[in-house]
Amino acid sequence: MAARVLQQCVRSLARPSLRLCPVSAALRAAVAPAVGVHRPVSFAADSRRTRWLGQSRISSVVVLCRQYGDLPPLTLETIKDRVMYVLKLYDKINPEKLQETSHFMKDLGLDSLDQVEIIMAMEDEFGFEIPDAEAEKLMSPEEIVQYIADKKDVYE
Amino acid sequence: MMAASSRSQVISLYKAMVKASSRFPSYNYRTYALRRVRDAFRANGKVEDPRAVEKLLEEGQQMLALIQRQVSIGQMYGAQRTVVE
Repeated sequence: MAARVLQQCVRSLARPSLRLCPVSAALRAAVAPAVGVHRPVSFAADSRRTRWLGQSRISSVVVLCRQYGDLPPLTLETIKDRVMYVLKLYDKINPEKLQETSHFMKDLGLDSLDQVEIIMAMEDEFGFEIPDAEAEKLMSPEEIVQYIADKKDVYE
Repeated sequence: MMAASSRSQVISLYKAMVKASSRFPSYNYRTYALRRVRDAFRANGKVEDPRAVEKLLEEGQQMLALIQRQVSIGQMYGAQRTVVE
């Protein structure tokens, strides 16, 4: 719902300025503080805006969300893609057999030491520590994605 | 006396050793340490006797301390990067 409100704001603000210059500093400043609060939403607002700008033959792409040198915001999709990518790179896993719900020990035939290595690879990929007590419970890619989403406050 | 069950002790020891081994600045030491740690843990994975397990854990702790000392020494004296890196 917040996304819809935001998109309407962007539409109403962008309409008068479409014919003039592609981006005015005032427009960006007006929208950016609102967008800065809802980081996952900025993708939707951004794509709408670039579509109009494309229609009016303006080539510059505006990033509405001020990130101040931070990483791009995580979404469940990107977390899942990254987790599956790291797992496919692991040589003891057969990439064809890998599903989101495949259990490491029962379906993929790995043992607990392999699971430790997988969790360490996830720690390297996402840049934060996973304590041992919680790490030994993560037994499938889906559980890993859920855990990371919990820790990083990613919600849909 | 037992901080956690021996299985989770083994898991945390393995994790600590792999983490310490991957900090070696020298390519040769790093790959050897990782390979040796993996092989040793796999070979001893079938041991059931609790006293033997405890003894192996002790040895593992000493090896972990050794790896950490050697990592610090290696980081003091910089080495050139080899071609494989």
